[in-house]
Amino acid sequence: MTTKMAINAKDIFRNQHRLIRFIEKSIRLCSNQSLKAAQQQHQQKSSADFQITASVDTQYASGAPEPIKHDKDLGHQFRASQLSVRLAAPEQLHAKPDNDEELGFGRLFTDHMLKIYYHKSLGGWQKPEITPLENLVMHPAAKVLHYAVELFEGMKAYRGVDGKIRIFRPDMNMNRMNLAAQRSGLPTFEGPEFVKCLSRLLSIDSEWVPHTDTASLYIRPTLIGIDPTLGVASSDSALLYTILSPVGSYFKTGSSGAVSLLADPSYVRAWPGGVGNRKMGSNYAPTINVQKEAAARGLQQVLWLYGENHQLTEVGTMNIFMFYVNDQGEQELVTPPLSGLILPGITRDSILRMTRQWGKFKVSEATITMPQVCELLNQGRLLELFGAGTACVVSPVNRINYLGQDLYIPTMEQEKPVHELIRDTLTDIQYGKVDHPWSVVID
Amino acid sequence: MSVLLRRNSSQLRLLLSSGGQVTRLASTEGSGQPPAPAVAKQEAKKAQSKRQPPPVVPDSEIKKSVFISQSSDVFTNLALEDWLYKNFDFSHHHVLLLWANDPCVVIGRHQNPFTEANVSRLVERGITLARRNSGGGAVYHDLGNLNCTFFSPRERYDRKYNLNIVTRALFREWAIKAEINERDDIVVMNKKISGTAAKLGQPNSYHHCTILASANKLHLGESLVREKANYISRATASVPSPIRNLVDVNRTVNVAQLRSAVGYEYLRTAATTLEDGGSAQTMKQRGFQLINPTEKWFPGIEELRANYSSWDWVIGKTPSFTVEKDLEVKGHGEDMKLKLSVEVEGGLMKEIGLQLPQSEQLVPVVTPLQGKPYNEENLNGILGALKLVNASNVKQAINGTA
Repeated sequence: MTTKMAINAKDIFRNQHRLIRFIEKSIRLCSNQSLKAAQQQHQQKSSADFQITASVDTQYASGAPEPIKHDKDLGHQFRASQLSVRLAAPEQLHAKPDNDEELGFGRLFTDHMLKIYYHKSLGGWQKPEITPLENLVMHPAAKVLHYAVELFEGMKAYRGVDGKIRIFRPDMNMNRMNLAAQRSGLPTFEGPEFVKCLSRLLSIDSEWVPHTDTASLYIRPTLIGIDPTLGVASSDSALLYTILSPVGSYFKTGSSGAVSLLADPSYVRAWPGGVGNRKMGSNYAPTINVQKEAAARGLQQVLWLYGENHQLTEVGTMNIFMFYVNDQGEQELVTPPLSGLILPGITRDSILRMTRQWGKFKVSEATITMPQVCELLNQGRLLELFGAGTACVVSPVNRINYLGQDLYIPTMEQEKPVHELIRDTLTDIQYGKVDHPWSVVID
Repeated sequence: MSVLLRRNSSQLRLLLSSGGQVTRLASTEGSGQPPAPAVAKQEAKKAQSKRQPPPVVPDSEIKKSVFISQSSDVFTNLALEDWLYKNFDFSHHHVLLLWANDPCVVIGRHQNPFTEANVSRLVERGITLARRNSGGGAVYHDLGNLNCTFFSPRERYDRKYNLNIVTRALFREWAIKAEINERDDIVVMNKKISGTAAKLGQPNSYHHCTILASANKLHLGESLVREKANYISRATASVPSPIRNLVDVNRTVNVAQLRSAVGYEYLRTAATTLEDGGSAQTMKQRGFQLINPTEKWFPGIEELRANYSSWDWVIGKTPSFTVEKDLEVKGHGEDMKLKLSVEVEGGLMKEIGLQLPQSEQLVPVVTPLQGKPYNEENLNGILGALKLVNASNVKQAINGTA
């Protein structure tokens, strides 16, 4: 670096962490304790590698959710043993694409689907059935079409290194789905039975998961209210169905896998007393136009802010994590707490449990605000910012456009990024490279 | 800490059945350490000498799939067959692979393509020549011919079962009465409609057969004719039999329907006994799947395909043979009958010689084609060059050496 180098404000922002490191190396710093502490921490980190343990520490429990309480007049439940199967004939099969470029996300679907009807007048949940993928037929007054009486889930099936198919913590998705059903006036169901039906569907369409060790199948269970009446009331009829989609990579990112965000406080995704913490379709429709706006401004995702203090809540459709040096000079991983505005992500829960078990740095659930982010960035204490979700496990953030300013986050500049370690550990579990109770084999 | 290696489940089964330890990643604290890899290998070696039979899996636990290949390239399909044979775990999952190829001639593993067909002519007409991995004779494939490969673990290999699935399907769909003869061919009214070959290994095996639905019989006949010459070869020879298309027996037969019929028959029959379970049985299976045999879905398949399509495999693996062809040389009023003899090793012409009349000696012929690949065009090229030789020159040569 020469003094004659053209200094650009943008360059400084982008390279501030590099600048700091360079200055530290060449000039002795007599103050600014937190920087020194960070350097020490950094050195410590590089000597002792994280230990990846396969066992689940009882202190942090396996995170098994509480069983759901069904309505008194729900009727009877469905059982996987009642499953009837109608296999697709050869003419009904869909051709498999040649490569990932044609795949995108959720554009192509497999040959079969799972359908389970609920009719209160017929006693409750009906017999589950697996049929070839076909259109749904419903009355134009169906509640889902008018009042968005709909909820869904997102999970993945992975082909492990031994060729067997695995799903990741399905019990968590089932619980989350039932909680959303209760809020929507839709019938609840037995999660374990549904997972068994899902396993059968996956074994039929298992060839839709490539035989590589980096491929997955996206599972989309959906519950809709189909009661053909216009009253805004609980649906007496519902349909629980699941479709599967082979996936390539979710995001088409620009620079080396990191994403850029639009943080505009005028758009609010969720509010106290609302359903921000439930995976309902009605939460997502209003975000589409905002996403379009972000894309128009050359940004890839939306960073959802809330409140006067511009709290960071979620990134696009993912939870957000921040890894920084706190006021005590120690490294800390923080994510917003489940206050009702945040979707309780399963990846989020897994990361919290896993990193707490590691015990290498402090892990906390606390509110993060934009002013806080800016301050940390200025002091060079912000290390990494990343989203966490099923689609891509972790998604590092390298730029936020906030109030007309571009903030450059050094997520990708870290030597041993925590987000990569998290991604590697989680994918090792998901692909069966490590034997772990979170990864359920279904075959 | 030993890590679970990237092993597919069929290799794991093999290891387990031979008593070896499958090393798994255990938690660091508390639970017992897995045995060191060195110890595990020793144990595996010891146990392999007294291999225990794999556990018997009851029929009810075996699920069946019918895979339909999206490709019509013979090399890709052969590579797919090979990939499944090498990598798939069939212990609880039997598979029937259905495939059809663009026009090609497929010879058996140990056959000599030059005794089965006119290779130069095939190249001219754009018909691919391929060598499969299983034994048996040469066949002509086109899109009117359906190939069926029945995969199962070695211990449940059953050729008769597989062939019966086909005959039952033909009857159920079109009321065609087919029989299985002693050579394991399927015949309809005394003419062959199917040929069979198999590969038995550990832990997997496969049996494949063809079904002639509506193949082009004219092209078939023309393709399986070899160049007229005397071949001295120890390679497996094909046994020619009169063949018939199913469409000659019943005009409504077509490959698409045949695929469906054989597939459903396979799914509705119990796993190891010829018991029909109807739609109740079909419902319990895994059903039909389209298969796209590309590197994205089956990593490693490109390498297999490259091998199948290589000259080294198709021609190079030909067992050594000698081809002799007579040639007449004209001279002043007298003709001489000579015999051209070419020794071919590994598909290359090693020794090119001329046998003179009244002599057992072989006179070597000097030609730039020495050491080059053998094919009918080259052979006729040498003959053509030799025909220009004058009979008197040959006489001189004989007298000179006599």
